[in-house]
Amino acid sequence: MKRIGIIIALLFAVQLPAAAQDWDPGGALKKLSAKASKAIDVTLDQSMLQFAGAFLDSKDPDQVQAKKIISNMKGIYVHSFEFEKAGEYSEDDLTPLRAPLKEPVWSRIVNVRSKHDGQNVEVYFKKEDGKFTGLVVIATEPTELTFVDIIGPINPEDFKRLGGQFGIPKVEIDQDPPGKKGETK
Amino acid sequence: MNRLEDELKRALERVQPPAGFAERVLARARAEAEKPARSRRWLGLFGLGLAGAGSLRWAAACALCVVLAASGVIYERDMQRRRGEEAKDQVMLALRITGSKLQIAEQSLKELDSTSQPQQ
Repeated sequence: MKRIGIIIALLFAVQLPAAAQDWDPGGALKKLSAKASKAIDVTLDQSMLQFAGAFLDSKDPDQVQAKKIISNMKGIYVHSFEFEKAGEYSEDDLTPLRAPLKEPVWSRIVNVRSKHDGQNVEVYFKKEDGKFTGLVVIATEPTELTFVDIIGPINPEDFKRLGGQFGIPKVEIDQDPPGKKGETK
Repeated sequence: MNRLEDELKRALERVQPPAGFAERVLARARAEAEKPARSRRWLGLFGLGLAGAGSLRWAAACALCVVLAASGVIYERDMQRRRGEEAKDQVMLALRITGSKLQIAEQSLKELDSTSQPQQ
């Protein structure tokens, strides 16, 4: 009986890293998905990333760069929702997504809020032992919401090198705890 | 006319078969009947010989197994390739979406920088 208990505990221990995000945004995302007219869900854990990496074309520069980025990633989760009309989701729907993104583990690098087109982008980095180990992007528009959660060592230099590829800009990221750099209202 | 008749007579004259002719014909006929069919001779090449329909069935079953196994391997490889392509597309889509959102953030920051610069 004791042995069975140990086996079950081990099985759970094996399963946990697969869902080793800091929090489970699943409930909040499910609610948003129910309200959305269109939803894109990309869920790639480490094994899927490795599997996909084997199929990336080494002759295509975009795919070469992608392979490099995902090589050490533990997971990429992208959820994008489109709504029929403005106001179909509220700030309350976003609260559970932002809840765990707190200092000192998480740092909000960018918080852009555009009043004229209602386009907001928040970029958070997770820092552990002086290294970036996670990225979360919450981008909202009146009829669109995107939540990106990237788990794994992220080298800001890689993002700089990605300038011009995938439309990723050359983002300047401070290595020191940035506070609320780039916050605009 | 007589000459023609004579020639015809000679040609149609009854001739006795050589001794043992009938026995030789019968022996040849028996030998032909006992020879294996052409398809069976082919099986003989594979060592199946005249063992009968049982061997033929086994051979067919083995061939079917080989074909099924090969089809399974090909199907599995094809499925694996498709899953890989789908995963690859998802990676590219995820990076593009992430990139586009970061692009928006950067553009907004640039706009902010340009408007906050003191005018000379």
